[in-house]
Amino acid sequence: MQLRKQLNRVPGYEVANHRIDRWWWLVLAVVGIVTALACIQPDPYWRIIRFVADGIVVTVGVTISAFLLTLVVGLFAALGRLSKNNLFRTITTIYVEVARGIPLLVQLLFWYFAFPSIIHSIGRLIHFEPFENYLANAYLMAILGLAFCYAAYMSEIYRAGIQSIPKGQNEAARSLGMSKSQAMRYIILPQAIKTILPPVGNEFISLLKDSSLVSVVAVADMTRRGREFMAAYFIPVETWMMIALLYLVMTLIATRVVSWIERKTQTEER
Amino acid sequence: MTEPIIQIQDLHKHFGTTAALNGVDLNVFPGEVVVIIGPSGSGKSTLLRCVNRLEVFEAGIVNVDGIPLTTAENINAIRAEVGMVFQSFNLFPHLTVLENVMIAQKVVRKRTQDEAEAIALALLEKVGIPEKRSDYPGQLSGGQQQRVAIARALAMNPKIMLFDEPTSALDPEMIQEVLDVMLQLAKDGMTMVVVSHEMGFARAAADRAILMDEGRIVEQAVPDILFNHPQQERTKAFLSKIL
Repeated sequence: MQLRKQLNRVPGYEVANHRIDRWWWLVLAVVGIVTALACIQPDPYWRIIRFVADGIVVTVGVTISAFLLTLVVGLFAALGRLSKNNLFRTITTIYVEVARGIPLLVQLLFWYFAFPSIIHSIGRLIHFEPFENYLANAYLMAILGLAFCYAAYMSEIYRAGIQSIPKGQNEAARSLGMSKSQAMRYIILPQAIKTILPPVGNEFISLLKDSSLVSVVAVADMTRRGREFMAAYFIPVETWMMIALLYLVMTLIATRVVSWIERKTQTEER
Repeated sequence: MTEPIIQIQDLHKHFGTTAALNGVDLNVFPGEVVVIIGPSGSGKSTLLRCVNRLEVFEAGIVNVDGIPLTTAENINAIRAEVGMVFQSFNLFPHLTVLENVMIAQKVVRKRTQDEAEAIALALLEKVGIPEKRSDYPGQLSGGQQQRVAIARALAMNPKIMLFDEPTSALDPEMIQEVLDVMLQLAKDGMTMVVVSHEMGFARAAADRAILMDEGRIVEQAVPDILFNHPQQERTKAFLSKIL
């Protein structure tokens, strides 16, 4: 602390007041290993990276899209579970129990293979042309499948966060004349979001890893591209080590970003 | 004779099998300051919370400014006219002091940012802490927080202010700064219903003191008379314990 203060007086050595997260070195280390491998042995490592590059984009894209959808659907599911309306509560509770009770891989297979078949049957039954000729988009189905499952977990996180806010906050807001939804939007949710940031961040990291499951439903993500590379050149050790390192880089960066956001929101108050 | 601004008739409220209010009748007139005392569990807070329907009551009538509270549609409109100050302050911890006083003005009263800010600053001046405007509630003392809570309620231009044990959670040396703000408010002619055992405040500001026990009003009179010459045995017993 003393050193930091002294350094701050030396021009060119100012230390930023927000401390830099020490665990970034782990990210740098893994990035370093990947870079070193790619430079020292471009064949096969650099070749693998180039081969799966489009898969990296797909993995990141699918993860972020599914996550955004999860945030929205999860919030509505949580509000439904907290609702006084019996119908909303029943529907959302059944949804959460079903989505949490079936393995994600089975859900993804259902959305990609079974769901379009059901649409075709319905189309034939009601003679509705667009349904009969419905073609499942693998990417869309994968994103929907991931979000369907993850939103159930997310709704429980939201619910816990909302319920952790003292009752007096809602009473104060309502006694000022705010409606239920205004109190939720301006008073309860902003506080709840702060408390649920760590578990939400963890969900993002889990989702990033579980996105590898979409490789079985015709989505050319990083895992699927890795399998294609291995099938073509048959060097499993190098391939899967590189794929594993690439996932690790992504999850480690995500972890650091989450903890940075956490600290930023925590220091703003008190 | 003016119409009472709060009319309560035969009010009943139960929590499960225990009765919190057992037939309360009370009229409060515009500009009147009423202090309610009584042992814990006597229904003081519940009575107060029924006036802006934070508690739903089973039977009886509560009219605020001539509007019956039993219909749901007008409840938000009525609440905006009735300011409430809580024992535990209940400031919004994620907002600054200034934002705490502004948020309901903007959301409920639909005032512009500039309007709301001007009103909030004037009220913070009035409760004596304009310099804390950019602080978060967690950085304030209890007395300061409660004064912000009063400013927040006043920002809605309420016709009635309800105080639910506003000084019970405060350190002794902070009680007076909150009472001073309340005294000033009483002097300005605000209609106030105060649940509090601050005898000094009751003597100085209240037009009427009420003793409640077991969900009923036991006795009511001008504070000096109630405190010095109580008629009911229950009142004597209670006062002997707290004086």
